Amino acid sequence: MGAFDTPERPRIFSGPNLLLICIVLLFCVFGIRLWYLQIYKNDFYTSRAQENRTRQSTMFSPRGIIRDRGGVLLAENTPAYALALVREDCPDIPKTLDQVSRWTGQPRDELEKVFEIGRKRVKHFDEQVIVPNIPFELVALVEAHRQDWPGLTIAVRPKRSYAYGPTLAHVLGYVARANEEELNDDPDLQLGDDVGKQGVEYVLERRLRGTKGLEEFEVDASGRVLSSRIVTQPVKGEDLNLSVSLPLQEIATKALDGRTGSVVAMDADTGEILAQVSLPSYDPNEFVVGISHAKWKELLEDPAHPMQNRPVQSAYPPGSVFKLAVGGLALESGSVTPATTVFCSGSYKLGERSFRCWNKGGHGVVDFKKSLRESCDVYYYQLGERLGVNAISDYATRCGFGVKTGVELPHERSGNMPTAEWKLKRFGEKWQRGETLNYSIGQGYTQTTPLQVARFVAALVNGGRILRPTLLATTSPDVVGELPMKASTRKLVLDAMVATVEEERGTARLLRREGIRIGGKTGTAQVVKLMDKYEKKKTQEIPYKYRDHAWLAGFAEKDGRRYVAVAMVEHGGHGGSDAGPVVAAVFDALFGVQQGN
Amino acid sequence: MFDRRLVFHINWGLVALTAILFLVGVVNLYSASALRVASGIELDSYFNKQLLWGGVGLLVLSCIVLVDYRHFKAVSWPYFILSLLLLLAVSVAGKTIYGARRWLDLGFFNLQPTELAKIAVLILGARLLARMDGRLGWVNLGKVLLVGLVPAMLVVKQPDLGSALNILLILGGMILFKGITAGVFKVLIVALPVMLPFGWFFLHDYQKQRILTFLDPGNDPLGAGYHIIQSQIAIGSGGFWGKGFLQGTQSQLRFLPEKHTDFAFAVFGEEWGFFGAMILLGLFCSFLYQIYIVAMEAKDDFGSYLAAGVFFYFFWQILINMGMVLGIMPVVGIPLPFVSYGGSASVVNFCMIGVVLNVAMRRFVFKNA
Repeated sequence: MGAFDTPERPRIFSGPNLLLICIVLLFCVFGIRLWYLQIYKNDFYTSRAQENRTRQSTMFSPRGIIRDRGGVLLAENTPAYALALVREDCPDIPKTLDQVSRWTGQPRDELEKVFEIGRKRVKHFDEQVIVPNIPFELVALVEAHRQDWPGLTIAVRPKRSYAYGPTLAHVLGYVARANEEELNDDPDLQLGDDVGKQGVEYVLERRLRGTKGLEEFEVDASGRVLSSRIVTQPVKGEDLNLSVSLPLQEIATKALDGRTGSVVAMDADTGEILAQVSLPSYDPNEFVVGISHAKWKELLEDPAHPMQNRPVQSAYPPGSVFKLAVGGLALESGSVTPATTVFCSGSYKLGERSFRCWNKGGHGVVDFKKSLRESCDVYYYQLGERLGVNAISDYATRCGFGVKTGVELPHERSGNMPTAEWKLKRFGEKWQRGETLNYSIGQGYTQTTPLQVARFVAALVNGGRILRPTLLATTSPDVVGELPMKASTRKLVLDAMVATVEEERGTARLLRREGIRIGGKTGTAQVVKLMDKYEKKKTQEIPYKYRDHAWLAGFAEKDGRRYVAVAMVEHGGHGGSDAGPVVAAVFDALFGVQQGN
Repeated sequence: MFDRRLVFHINWGLVALTAILFLVGVVNLYSASALRVASGIELDSYFNKQLLWGGVGLLVLSCIVLVDYRHFKAVSWPYFILSLLLLLAVSVAGKTIYGARRWLDLGFFNLQPTELAKIAVLILGARLLARMDGRLGWVNLGKVLLVGLVPAMLVVKQPDLGSALNILLILGGMILFKGITAGVFKVLIVALPVMLPFGWFFLHDYQKQRILTFLDPGNDPLGAGYHIIQSQIAIGSGGFWGKGFLQGTQSQLRFLPEKHTDFAFAVFGEEWGFFGAMILLGLFCSFLYQIYIVAMEAKDDFGSYLAAGVFFYFFWQILINMGMVLGIMPVVGIPLPFVSYGGSASVVNFCMIGVVLNVAMRRFVFKNA
């Protein structure tokens, strides 16, 4: 035997035992450690290894383009260059931002702010856009200095472009950089993405946007890309064909001649909006590239509110246009027959107060047709007395007044059809009988949008179907209700509208065109209760903001095509003379009538 | 001089285990040499070189086996002194690689005197221990320790703390194997832990950093902690069956640093999984067990201490390297025998095996010998 036969030393930590203990410990400790790492924590380390070797990158999907009904491109995507930063590739971020500031002339602290806000939202190794929309000269400059500034890259992002700018601003709206709130609400949005903010771009954002794709790269430790695969294909946004006709939109805009107001032209049978003009307007392209603070302030503080899309976002008293509905109710309820007459002396006495007709000389004997043709106020004062405020409101609501139309435009206003209860609740005051008289000629608390008027007239024309107006080209109208008017009643109302255009003393005679059946109703909405001092004055002599709004709602029919056009000129004075030519221009364009006929 | 009967007494188990471990190492090196690039796989030549060094090692091993180990006693002192001289030479005229002066350029290859010193300390230590009677008291302990401390000091200067520690640990293992008196044991068990913190002041900054990083790798994930973290990711992501040969993403995509040398075991663990790693661990333990058997059956104390020295030579390397790769020990640049690439180390490994085989095959006293 060897050296270990001395009986005096039975020891653990020396001799043969020591070696055996070493072996057993080695096996046990590392065996357990291997089990811990490879079995117990396998999932954790597998995902860490996966993260190590893969990088993901978003594949952007182009936003759907928008065309008019004739196929003209209204909104398209043009390539634009943005200066972006990749944190992981950037050795010295503050210095790089200094350089960006020198190149772009943007203040250093502003860039810093953009970077700090955005960095939390940008995935590792993804580019973070620091300066969107840089000019091409800068692109060349940055590319030339790539070696010096490894963290900087040029990101190519599609930029929305609106070829017809202000003409369609209120229809299309615009896209702009998504803000903090939008990013929080929508997980699909990434920093630097554009999102619809107004108009069709806003309402149909989901359809237009498309879905981003995801590309996965296999990289080595130095970040070199070895292979790539597309995890999800990007899906292009849906292209939209609008119902709007660019030429008609341009004609209607021109006809409004710079005045504040709106025009709506609609296909009476489909609910397609052919033109939707709101003046003043703005250039949506300025928002896409990031509107300057000064410009934004200027738009907001403009007393004419160019950002307001009047056909749906402004509610006005309908004025005499409302008589179409009140008249309809009177016939439907049997309060009057077409032959019932009223004598108009130029005013109507209610108790102590006298309510004037617009025609101080009086209309004499007035039947239903004449009441609309000449827009006799006294006739409707009497109807109002008989019908009462609540019945009128109920009926008008069923006609679509005071009800949102559901068109594809944002922030639509519903307007208001007052009732006695409403007034009590709103003002704590009782409804006065005199207010009913005012109401029955479309003045006072009643408020409606131009689009609601257009929809109502369309329903009169198309056989009583209340449609949801749409900005998308369609052949299948969305019928949302039925006009509470028998065919015979509709015919009487329409005939009276035609008489308003065709006959002597009609208030909308300048719409008359040979060979086309055209009807119309004028309206003058009082902005304030007319003050005595302005009463006898001509429109031009009254201060602008106190001038009445001018309405004209008309329809035109020929060869089975039926259109409705509503023009509303704010503070325009008189419906027939001020709003009339606008509607006439629309119909002329629709039926190809030469100017001057 | 060479008795043919000796061939029958060769410890074939140890030979087989050595061969298997070496082949596993070469196969793993093939994978560790591979780099995945866009066009496929590129190979570095490490596994080829390792095969070459293995051949050289085998040659040296054969030479060692031929000479009866008892002759080693005679050369132990001259060889020890030669090693010290070479270490001194290295500190004067050595070749500097990675900021450390460890190599002597001999023209055809770079000699690493540290490796020779390990063998010298082992042989001289075994000789001194064999001569001493009973457990070591203070005087004898001091004598034996001096054999390790002198070369260790020279190695620390290079600087190569890992190797210096290795020399002392081998000697320490041998001393424990021999046994120390109860008095010495009691003092050391108190004194060593107390002295350990003072060692901190002798460490270089990078060494302190390694220890701090080991304690908290997340502190500096892209710097010093990178090795530890990536190594554990490689091992851990291997799972039970591993990712398969040449399929390890951590190594092929170069996330794993030093993958052909110090972290070669991580490559193995990633590609062969828990299953493979446990087999490799089992092979190492069997290998150590074979050396243990030789130490037990040696015909004299000198042979026994030689085998024990070789046992600790391998044991510490396996312990420190695997401990580092598995993240339970600080990063110290010590390779895993047979698995990590290294020319000098491979040759020395085979030398050591040769010494053990030498002791094993001469365990019987032949009548006519």
